[in-house]
Amino acid sequence: MSNFSLSSRSEQDITVMMPKGYINNIGAERLELTSEEFIGRGSNKLVVNFTDVKFINTIGLSIFLSMVQNMLESNSQLCFTNMKKDHREMFEMAGLIKHVRVFKDEKDAFNYLNGRS
Amino acid sequence: MPFSSLQKKDFFGRQAELASLYKRVLQADSGQAQSVVLSGRRGIGKTELLKHLFGRLFFNQDRTVPFLYTVNPALLSVTVFSKSYLSRFICQRLAFEKKDQALLYRDGITIDGLSTLAEEMGALWAKEILDQYMQCSGDPVDALRIALLAPHRSTLSTGMPVAVLIDDFHWVKGLHLDGVPDHLLVSLFQEPMSHRKTPHVITGNMAELQEMAVVSGLERIPVPSLGSEAASSMVLALLSAQEAEGNVPPLLLRHLAGNPYYLGHIVTRACAKNNPDDKEFWNAYIQEIMEGTLALSWLTVLKSYIPDLGQRRTALTIISKIYHTTEALSCQRIAKVFSLTDGEAHGILNALYLAGFIRGEFGSFRPMDDRVLRDIVDALSMREILAKSPHDMELHFLEALIPQKGQVVRFDMTLPMAREAELIVAQSLEQIGKNLNLNQDAIGQLQIAVIEACINAIEHGKGMDDKIYVSVAVDEDQTEVSVESAGQEFIIQETGEPYRDQEAEKKAGRGWGIKLMKRFVDHVRFEKTTYGTKIVLVKKIEKSASIQKEDTANHE
Repeated sequence: MSNFSLSSRSEQDITVMMPKGYINNIGAERLELTSEEFIGRGSNKLVVNFTDVKFINTIGLSIFLSMVQNMLESNSQLCFTNMKKDHREMFEMAGLIKHVRVFKDEKDAFNYLNGRS
Repeated sequence: MPFSSLQKKDFFGRQAELASLYKRVLQADSGQAQSVVLSGRRGIGKTELLKHLFGRLFFNQDRTVPFLYTVNPALLSVTVFSKSYLSRFICQRLAFEKKDQALLYRDGITIDGLSTLAEEMGALWAKEILDQYMQCSGDPVDALRIALLAPHRSTLSTGMPVAVLIDDFHWVKGLHLDGVPDHLLVSLFQEPMSHRKTPHVITGNMAELQEMAVVSGLERIPVPSLGSEAASSMVLALLSAQEAEGNVPPLLLRHLAGNPYYLGHIVTRACAKNNPDDKEFWNAYIQEIMEGTLALSWLTVLKSYIPDLGQRRTALTIISKIYHTTEALSCQRIAKVFSLTDGEAHGILNALYLAGFIRGEFGSFRPMDDRVLRDIVDALSMREILAKSPHDMELHFLEALIPQKGQVVRFDMTLPMAREAELIVAQSLEQIGKNLNLNQDAIGQLQIAVIEACINAIEHGKGMDDKIYVSVAVDEDQTEVSVESAGQEFIIQETGEPYRDQEAEKKAGRGWGIKLMKRFVDHVRFEKTTYGTKIVLVKKIEKSASIQKEDTANHE
């Protein structure tokens, strides 16, 4: 049984992905593929909600990096929300935070993406 | 040691065994005694027990004759052995009859000289045996038979039973005719051992003895470790003999596990300082396991069973692996890990088993239950394989053995290199933190580092052993996690830092693991071990319930 699962939903023109469990190579690849599918369907505002993410390893982190690069190349916007402090530090170390907006929760991310903040 | 100098008061914790053996061999007088084998670990005091039994039989009664013989591995030619055995017996038998201790030490006497002596003393039984022996000089096997049956024949002639006490009996496996070993020669002991008026009490290396057919039918009498009271009494007597004060620290005393040989050497070495304190006892111990008599005696055993230097190095790494693995290892597994053929692995493992370095159970091998031997193995490996300096070794043992402030709670895990095995460690760490009331934020950071260390171990251990070994030690103010795997190519010897795989680092994210470990714990250490590579993570963690876990970060 996998220690990772992914659910997603769309609200307005924003897609929210909610990974759960352990983001290693398998989890991160699923996130990357799912985000590519949404971008392919024309969705260019993505939110990743980290509430249920328990662990991230550096292999998962490296795949996140390529996901961010894809988003930048397609002029999409990517936001992270509900990140634990340590996970945020990991993303900072990897130099990812400068390309991504991080918010306390989905509400703040939605406000930003809808141009209300 | 002269038997007259054996002091009852210096013989600790063996009075019950001695009394029982004494009573047992005295049954020879009524023709009811049976031969036995004394079993016990190396250094446990089997030889001392035999000597004291001899002394008691010699001085305390005049019915059962004691005969003590120590097999010398250098004298295993049948001709030399039988002459030595027979002449020692005749001398000791005559010494007992006349209560003349000087006869006990008549080494080098010729058979002719002995014959003359027997005649002068009116011991016709002895002269008859010696005459028969000389008539058989052309047939060494017959001569050996006469020598081994001499105690029985003397009993038949004089009516006085004989207790035959043989030390290092395992060496008789090497009896040979003109340099050609003949296993059948050992079977000549069968008959003399079976006589109820000449009971044999034998001892030696148990691993070898139990493989000898002539011993297999004998009742085994275990010689256990000294109890704590007897061990303490022995220490006090040794200190008193050196006119020193002090006492062995309780933890060290437990470490020595009631082995009189170990105790004797540690106390004697510590007494080089006047009135040694705890630290000096520990230092004495560390010096003994690194370069002292204890280390030398085990090294000598290893050399005698594995004379080839190259093979000995391999053997040392195998012992080290067995001692640092929590499960029993099969011959096939050892062969695979060390790239040996099954035959080579079997040869080395059998030699190590016979030498007493490892236990063998149904084709699987485990370490001996002997912490001193374990430390000596570690010291030998560090010196001979890892080329560590004496200073580094000393520091290692000081840190590993001497208790630091507070008590350490330790958890050990062995994990298969299976997918996401690192999560098992991370989750266990979380539970350990909860059980010991550790700061959860700090545990969370340690979990991240541990996951990386495990991934690293799995990555670098691929194709080697299929296990990783994790140890968690929780101290008063810090938690240390070590992750060890069989990978050899990870550490630069000079710097102790991991190699940088430049090709791998070109790929995004590779090389972040070590950076991340260093970011989330206070200290990261990389060690090349005899087993492979170890990453040690140290994090200061308070035991506190007041600090709440910071669940989310608020930004923007």
